[in-house]
Amino acid sequence: MTDVSIKVTDLTLRFPVYGVDAKSLKKNLARVTVGGRLGASTTGATEVTALSHLNLNLRAGDRLGLIGHNGSGKTTLLRALSGAYEPDEGQIEVRGRIAALLDLSLGIDPSATGVDNIRLRGRIAGMSSKEIEDKMDEIAEFSGLGPFLAMPMKTYSAGMQARLAFAVATAVEADVLLMDEWISVGDADFQKLAHRRLLNLVERAGILVLSSHDAGLLRLYCNKVMRLEGGVASEVKDIRRLDELLAAA
Amino acid sequence: MESGQHMLRTGRRGTLFEFSMALRDLVTSYHRRGLAWSLAWHDVVSRYRGSILGPFWITISMGLMVLGIGLLYAKLFGISVAEFMPYVAMGIVFFGLMAGTINEGCETFVQASSMLSQTSLPMFTFIWRTVLRNLINLAHHAVIIVAVIIFFGLWQVMDVLPAMGGLLLTIINLAWISMLVAIASARFRDIPQFVMSVMQFAIFMTPVFWKPDAFPDRHAFLTLNPFYHMLTTIRAPLLGQEADGLSYVILAIMAVLGWALTFSVFAITRRRIVHFL
Ligand SMILES: Nc1ncnc2c1ncn2[C@@H]1O[C@H](COP(=O)(O)OP(=O)(O)OP(=O)(O)O)[C@@H](O)[C@H]1O
Ligand SMILES: [Mg+2]
Repeated sequence: MTDVSIKVTDLTLRFPVYGVDAKSLKKNLARVTVGGRLGASTTGATEVTALSHLNLNLRAGDRLGLIGHNGSGKTTLLRALSGAYEPDEGQIEVRGRIAALLDLSLGIDPSATGVDNIRLRGRIAGMSSKEIEDKMDEIAEFSGLGPFLAMPMKTYSAGMQARLAFAVATAVEADVLLMDEWISVGDADFQKLAHRRLLNLVERAGILVLSSHDAGLLRLYCNKVMRLEGGVASEVKDIRRLDELLAAA
Repeated sequence: MESGQHMLRTGRRGTLFEFSMALRDLVTSYHRRGLAWSLAWHDVVSRYRGSILGPFWITISMGLMVLGIGLLYAKLFGISVAEFMPYVAMGIVFFGLMAGTINEGCETFVQASSMLSQTSLPMFTFIWRTVLRNLINLAHHAVIIVAVIIFFGLWQVMDVLPAMGGLLLTIINLAWISMLVAIASARFRDIPQFVMSVMQFAIFMTPVFWKPDAFPDRHAFLTLNPFYHMLTTIRAPLLGQEADGLSYVILAIMAVLGWALTFSVFAITRRRIVHFL
């Protein structure tokens, strides 16, 4: 396997917002702590700068926690790392197989059974049909959903959905795991299982990037932390200096 | 090149670079063609979950329409049922493919927005998904075609090869139209309504239910209608007639120009599509 790494250089990402009059927004542009920077592009369209000139280098074994206010760009950064958003400036390079757990409902068909949804999610995550069938038992067991797997997903609770999503996403032998917030939905049992899987991933020299508002969770999973503020990133610091970063708010 | 192991995303680097990225998207979608197929198959299965006949319900309703219109119009126009029924049957089934692929094209990206905004899946995958889904539906409705071919003894006179050629050219053309409306609908939400109106208009302007005998050959009313060429190149050979070679030529030219246009639009808008949604 090639070396697992994430290399982000001078990344700027703007969202064009269609159907909004930039002028009507101007009067509300007083400094706010929430959200990215609103502004007008050269063509006059409204734009939100969600990330600006961000640099990040991660190597095998790094478990980065992302903190920051609502709208500071954490989810946007994770989506960019997953390859969904194209940079407006700069460059993103990720080596290793990526598994992104950003949105629990990804590729979920509520009226299909749990098993069918495992197949669907697995296909989207890049597994072949055969790989999925080979791993089906393991995924089913890890999810702990037992007989519920034969039931339509719409009968699942949020935590049950999270179990299924997590079980499939981590069944892909991923090197880079991107997670947004939600892992806290699972109950204590599941948290324990998830914890073991995540540690396992890190032992295999993978990279984890996790966004959360929960300092305890970050201490549990991460060894590094980075703070985003209005799309601008702090330096990457050791997790022991989390309080310092939080206090800087 | 992109592989499962290496992902590189960069800012704009000129037009040529945007075209090479668009091409990379196409190539990746080809490598992952199994995914487009799985998604299309899943769409068909899930749309009819819990239903016993599934997509055959549409086949049945089409079949009824074929029977009704075939019998009624044959009487009204004074044409024999044996001549008119297969004509209408093929018209309805193949126009169904065209209308379905184009109308559903409007939803292609809009429906896939959650997948597009958190994975690096190629965008072409979703175009193939829509096209394949409509081909799966066509495979069900083919029952009607087979029925009229057997019942009216067309297998003695039909010429399968040119019909297959026509079908292939039609699919290639439908694919670019479907993609073009997919991009346009992502950005402008009026497009789906507009496309639906056009297709409703087209079903009456195209010789689906009526015979173009009233027009002289190659009348502009027919030659300017792309759906006429799609339909006639598939249907005429199956009815044991010869389709005008000009129609094949027009379809081929349309395919080349259409794909050139669509691919250029895609190359230019590719970065933005996910933000349109
Ligand atoms: N699809 C979008 N279109 C326009 N603007 C967007 C879009 N997604 C995010 N933004 C903007 O980008 C900025 C960063 O949003 P992001 O979702 O990355 O924040 P976050 O740090 O994940 O916040 P939270 O803690 O609430 O999850 C915000 O100002 C938001 O308004
Ligand atoms: Mg977020």
